[in-house]
Amino acid sequence: MKEIVPLEKAREESVFGAKAVGLGEAARSGLPLPPGVALAGPIVEAVASGEEEAIRKVAKSVAPLGTPLAVRSSAVDEDGAEASFAGQHLTLLNIASEDALNDALREIWWSANSDSAITYRQRVGLFTRPSVGVVVQALLDPETAGVMFTQNPITGADERVVEASWGLGEAVVAGLVIPDHFRVARDGTVLERIAGRKQVAIRSRPDGGTFEEQVAPELVEQLCLDDGKLGELNDLATRCEAVYGAGRDIEWAFAGGQLYLLQCRAVTRVAS
Amino acid sequence: MAGAPPDALRRVPLFADLNERELGQVARLFKQRRFAQGETVTKEGLGGAAFFLIDAGEANVTVGGAARGKLGPGDFFGEIALIDEGARTATITATSELDCYGLTLWEFRPLLQENGAISWKLLQALTRRVRQLERG
Repeated sequence: MKEIVPLEKAREESVFGAKAVGLGEAARSGLPLPPGVALAGPIVEAVASGEEEAIRKVAKSVAPLGTPLAVRSSAVDEDGAEASFAGQHLTLLNIASEDALNDALREIWWSANSDSAITYRQRVGLFTRPSVGVVVQALLDPETAGVMFTQNPITGADERVVEASWGLGEAVVAGLVIPDHFRVARDGTVLERIAGRKQVAIRSRPDGGTFEEQVAPELVEQLCLDDGKLGELNDLATRCEAVYGAGRDIEWAFAGGQLYLLQCRAVTRVAS
Repeated sequence: MAGAPPDALRRVPLFADLNERELGQVARLFKQRRFAQGETVTKEGLGGAAFFLIDAGEANVTVGGAARGKLGPGDFFGEIALIDEGARTATITATSELDCYGLTLWEFRPLLQENGAISWKLLQALTRRVRQLERG
């Protein structure tokens, strides 16, 4: 079994975890992903154990991605127990060296082997050893990023809802800003534009990690997406629905003027 | 480096009877784990599944909210959880960046199941502890 594969070859959830396989499906469908690799649970564990051969293998495989990197856990969903990892999904951004990558893999391994993770597993009757795969991708340096629902998660209306801010999307996901809010019809017509208050942007540090940058005053309430970019997002929503089905929750970023898909999940909050 | 330093493990009563080779087998199963300053390492009442040996840094111990001392390099906690998977009896909080070597029951149990000599020595160490408790 290959323990490290390019994302487009990640097919087995029992080996690489749900997130890696979801991204693999996106890559095979031609969706615009940042380049990346999937690591199987056993090699993550071997790196966490400090095994030199595993560390060398991983370093060689991720070298073509350059730095910095985004490292995300990809829980192996045994017995349909995805919820057993609730709270243990970990994303580590701006990993800038081999040592930092090894630390990140070790941290992810421990997140699946923490007291709270193991207590939860015992409570739901899972007495098997947890396995956690990892996705390693090139980290973008986006101009703008955010989330998009392919259906309105509040009203259930058949329209795209976009929330966007400057810099990395974590500012939106972590609620650090009031993001710009857009509604877009399926035909691409922009139905609503509401400027937020985007006082900070999350940026990468050259030596690893991220920091909050103060946004220039004139940009705080300026819309960060124009109609052209909203049209590209609408197209991405259509392509994601074609691959995964309706009702998607998408994380996206514009970097160097190009739109990238970072994550695509089923919406869990659509109104009934 | 893979695993924990065997010499540091020798101070743990549970492992005190193991010979060099056996101690090496146990030491190799450990993985390094770093806790951030302020991070909760164990939480009283929550199930425990790992034993930790502190390599560097410091931590506070509380029971029922009352301070019960500090831990530093060479100190260890949670060895009984390796066997009974029982609840943590104290809350331990990192007061600085805390570097530990950790061993989970997932690694430890297969070693014992395959190695009767190590299991027997651990059983003796536990029995000694029971006798001490009986004597008060």
